[in-house]
Amino acid sequence: MKIKIIISLLVFVITATAFIYNKPPHKLTYLKLVIPKGWPKPSNDIFLANPLTEEGFVLGRKLFYDGRLSKDGNFPCAGCHQQFAAFATYAHDFSHGFNNSFTKRNAPALFNLAWMKEMHWDGGINHLEVQPLSPITGTNEMAETLPGVLAKIKEDTAYQRLFKAAFSDGIINSQHLLKALAQFTGSIQSYNSKYDKVKRGEDSFTVSEAAGYKVFLANCNGCHKEPLFTDNTFRNNGLPLNEQLKDMGRMGITGNPADSLKFKVPSLRNCSITFPYMHDGRFLSIGNVINHYRTDIDTTQKILDELLKKRLIISNQEKLDLTNFLTALKDEQMLRDPRYQEPNYIYRSPDIH
Amino acid sequence: MKMPSVFCWLFFLTSCRIAGAQVNKQPQPDIKVTFVNIINKLPLVLDSAKYINCFKETFTISRLNYYISNVSLQTTGKKTIPELNSYHLINEEDTASKSFSFFISPNQYTSLSFLIGVDSLKNVSGAQTGALDPLNGMFWTWNTGYIMFKMEGNSPSSSVVNNKIEYHIGGFSGANNVLRKVHLNLNDTFFIHQEKITEIIIKVDLDKIWNAQHDLKIMKTPVCTTPGVLAAGIADNYSKAFEIIKIIHQ
Ligand code: HEC
Ligand code: HEC
Repeated sequence: MKIKIIISLLVFVITATAFIYNKPPHKLTYLKLVIPKGWPKPSNDIFLANPLTEEGFVLGRKLFYDGRLSKDGNFPCAGCHQQFAAFATYAHDFSHGFNNSFTKRNAPALFNLAWMKEMHWDGGINHLEVQPLSPITGTNEMAETLPGVLAKIKEDTAYQRLFKAAFSDGIINSQHLLKALAQFTGSIQSYNSKYDKVKRGEDSFTVSEAAGYKVFLANCNGCHKEPLFTDNTFRNNGLPLNEQLKDMGRMGITGNPADSLKFKVPSLRNCSITFPYMHDGRFLSIGNVINHYRTDIDTTQKILDELLKKRLIISNQEKLDLTNFLTALKDEQMLRDPRYQEPNYIYRSPDIH
Repeated sequence: MKMPSVFCWLFFLTSCRIAGAQVNKQPQPDIKVTFVNIINKLPLVLDSAKYINCFKETFTISRLNYYISNVSLQTTGKKTIPELNSYHLINEEDTASKSFSFFISPNQYTSLSFLIGVDSLKNVSGAQTGALDPLNGMFWTWNTGYIMFKMEGNSPSSSVVNNKIEYHIGGFSGANNVLRKVHLNLNDTFFIHQEKITEIIIKVDLDKIWNAQHDLKIMKTPVCTTPGVLAAGIADNYSKAFEIIKIIHQ
């Protein structure tokens, strides 16, 4: 009997060690997206098939700041998406890409992407994970190829370590690269502006900001819906066609004439630092934007949004108040959050190319 | 003292199984599907061979890739048995890519079906790998979605630069959906045995692309690279190109 027990124990130990040997424990530090009180649920759970982890986030951040994702090394994601500009390109209507080219649209700010179903001004991209394929391969952006990027990354021992930490099989392939990037960009969140603090009872609006909030609710909230300050729909807000670009917006994707000149409603969070405005960066200041809404809407357009068919009446005082309110949507915490910074970040004055 | 000895044998048996599974040879798959691309009875030879379509337009083909997904077999009892994780990229340049095999339970089967293209779910689910890796060059970056079918070539009837023919067929929703289901009868019902591999050889006659359902002259439509009516029409046409020519029991 004793022998049998000893044998059974031995077998148990051998099987157990065999199991452990086959499957080294892979430790991941899981992270959670913050869903602030009163916010809607993220529209699609982008982290369901891509669990958000510290390891994935750190890898994604390195990739985001790495020039090697572009052909000549000069155009990392972060070149066009700068943290101090809420991850838009600071003070540029169009961003610079490979070989002295320009992007065809204004680079949007990046935050709260987990709430966004369709990306790009025309909604052509249906998932955050596949979005980077567009800038990486765009000849007027990073001008690289996926095999090109992977070849460069695979040689780097630091990446070998980071991929191993983030994904159990450690394989460096396009899927892991894209998932890691999505973990970083999808975790950039803005929910600590003065507006948010007022809502949480931690701060209070000035008289002018409070008045501007009322003007906002009366005229803008139909599309730039709080708390995200966008309802993530596509609308025609009465901008005349840019004759040089001939950018038809959403219609270019759906082929449907009813979508002519519809563009994604951009979030107004951080908008005081994301100038110039609109898909083609045609307005330099919030004042110009408000003037568009109160006097310059192209009412001859057939698909003009219902909410803008009746001219908005906004007085000069209200314009000032509204501008002050919009400035209260700036989220200093996000703009300086060290978690979003380049690893070993050293502050440089903004690059003005 | 009965219990420990039972446990002992249980442990022993499980450990044997675990050890055994690693030693055993991979079991043989039951079914193999092979695609043979042709053009109106002539074998497809990329670049060099010249062909003539029914509109008397001459052309050459330089590239042919298409997705086959969601392969399944139907039993005499009208049950559908799917291949698991069924995504295949057929690439004319790569012989290995033109066949795939899989396991299926022994049964009597009457028909085979599959989608030409990648089902809509996988078009909206983010970064994929394997046959669906965007690395394969069958993925649009400006308007998310797979290029379900890609055929490129040249023809003097084409008026675009370098007399190009370029069909990149995609689109997975609404009227622009180019996904086509192909359903092929296996003629005499056949039985799939456990120890034998059955090979189904499918002929794909690309000549059908010009006129199987819609008349599409190269002269008029040499290029199609966006989802829309033309893409859907081309998909209608190539969906008629598939035909079983042989079933081999090995
Ligand atoms: C050369 C400048 C440039 C580079 C480099 C660049 N982007 Fe962009 N990004 C843009 C522009 C311009 C758009 C808007 C594109 C459009 O709407 O067609 C954009 C859009 C986006 C969006 C969608 C945002 C929204 O609101 O719809 C995301 C996400 C994004 N970029 C992430 C990235 C990532 C990740 C990288 C690196 C792999 C990157 N970008 C590299 C310029 C750039
Ligand atoms: C009918 C919906 C709608 C209403 C109402 C509306 N907007 Fe917009 N807004 C849009 C759309 C759509 C765009 C993007 C248009 C484009 O780029 O072509 C936009 C763009 C903007 C932008 C540019 C943001 C950026 O990052 O480029 C600002 C600022 C703005 N709107 C402010 C306002 C203000 C202030 C109001 C109220 C006075 C308002 N909007 C009312 C739909 C609307």
